[in-house]
Amino acid sequence: MKVVQIKCPRCQQPINSKVKDLAFYCSHCRTMHVRDGGVNVIDFDIAEFNPGAQQDRVYMPFWRLFTNFNINQSKSAGGAIYKLGKFLGGGSNSGNVFIYIPAWETNVSEFKHWAIGLTEAQPMYSLRNDFNNIERTPTVVTREEATQMADFVIVTMEAEKPGTLQYLDYSLNVQDTRLVYMPYVRGQNGFAPGL
Amino acid sequence: MSLSVGLNCPACGGAIKVNEGEHVLNCQYCGSTLWAEGDAGVLTVAYKNMQDRDGVLRATEQWWRKGLKARDLRKKGRLLECYPIYLPFWSTVTRVAGWICGYEERTYQDRDGHSHTERIPKEEMVLNDYNYTNIACDPGDLGIKRLRNIGGEASFADFESIPTFESTTSKDDSVNGSKEKALQDARRDAGVPHVTFEKVTIIPKSISQIYYPVWVVRYSYGERMYMATVDGVTGNVLSGRAPGDPLYQSLAVTGGTSLGGLIAAAGLIVGAGSDDGTIMFGGVIVGLVILGVTYMFFRHGSEIIEGDFEDKKMKNPLKDIGIELGGLRI
Ligand SMILES: [Zn+2]
Ligand SMILES: [Zn+2]
Repeated sequence: MKVVQIKCPRCQQPINSKVKDLAFYCSHCRTMHVRDGGVNVIDFDIAEFNPGAQQDRVYMPFWRLFTNFNINQSKSAGGAIYKLGKFLGGGSNSGNVFIYIPAWETNVSEFKHWAIGLTEAQPMYSLRNDFNNIERTPTVVTREEATQMADFVIVTMEAEKPGTLQYLDYSLNVQDTRLVYMPYVRGQNGFAPGL
Repeated sequence: MSLSVGLNCPACGGAIKVNEGEHVLNCQYCGSTLWAEGDAGVLTVAYKNMQDRDGVLRATEQWWRKGLKARDLRKKGRLLECYPIYLPFWSTVTRVAGWICGYEERTYQDRDGHSHTERIPKEEMVLNDYNYTNIACDPGDLGIKRLRNIGGEASFADFESIPTFESTTSKDDSVNGSKEKALQDARRDAGVPHVTFEKVTIIPKSISQIYYPVWVVRYSYGERMYMATVDGVTGNVLSGRAPGDPLYQSLAVTGGTSLGGLIAAAGLIVGAGSDDGTIMFGGVIVGLVILGVTYMFFRHGSEIIEGDFEDKKMKNPLKDIGIELGGLRI
């Protein structure tokens, strides 16, 4: 085993982090990189906090997968409306959707709550170009694991509409992945959106 | 297990501790973020042995008194040896996320005696982290393949004094085995009898190696040798072989055969006077099953087996049915 110092692949500055985070952020040149079978610079977004959110602010990382999907056939017992149709519009069977996968350590129920919640909301946010010294939750989920979870999110949204899903023939392609830092405010009852 | 041998921070030269199984680490001296390249190995934990010889023997004697074991085991059982060992296990967490859809069929009879089959559609989400702990070496005759409870005080303090079995199965085999088992368990948990759609993603979340203290007790009863294993953390019996009780055994055999014969005969008699052949057929089948089980119980002699033994599939149902037959006698 060999141990190396993690340096920014763009400006060569060493990365200093007190937590074990798989997403390495260089605060000098604002480059984010991961080490998934190589040193890879990744795209990332930092969403701007609502000016009203001033205290206990924290950034939560999500893998945002830009996907193209196509429903060939969906059969349910009872209930009729495609939930997924909402993203496609106008009776179309294919389209694009952003799937959000929580990238920090979650248990299964938290995972589902965050993934479905954000994917259904398709949030709009304005960007900023630094973290403004706000704490960010460490990323532990790899890009590959997030991509594998995309199917679960899509099928869950289709299954949780009225009626009992009996058959779903679809195709799903992940066209782009991006780490998105969403703003939250820590409260007594967990996290509240800070958008 | 933390390794710090010969590894130094490439930035400041300070000695660093690498937690096995982790790639990212932080230098405690200069704060640099470091990356462990290559195979980072597997996190290894050993649990401290909390039992002593007396406690283990007491647990074994208590176990002798349970179930259909020979009643004079406490008098005639002779202890041959009693010693602790460390057994290696792979401990895995596997996340399963998906949906299994389909239907269940229910058949019912209406007032006119016509039977109808109803289809009840089902959609089941499977979302679970499955934890498995499988033995990482050949367990030999110990009857241990997995641990139900993992816990206790992590410590390598006893590693010098207790013989340790080395791990012989690979990490990859363990991960793949856990993936297969997780899919099977997810399907079982979903409980959809007729599947029309299934989309399940299986992601290995973690793997670690555990050295667990187990006490081996070997004893004799009459001419034959038997054994038991005792959990070195909890003090519970994990597995064992023991002589069965001749009285219980013979009661089960006579009760079983006579009951089996009676049911089979009753099936024939009732069946002969009925238009419906199913009664006869059913009676004969039930009778034959009981006869068969009794025969197996008898054939395998008076041995009571508990734990994950290779031949357990053959013997486990016997034990269960033996107890049921006992209930029927009363
Ligand atoms: Zn940089
Ligand atoms: Zn250092």
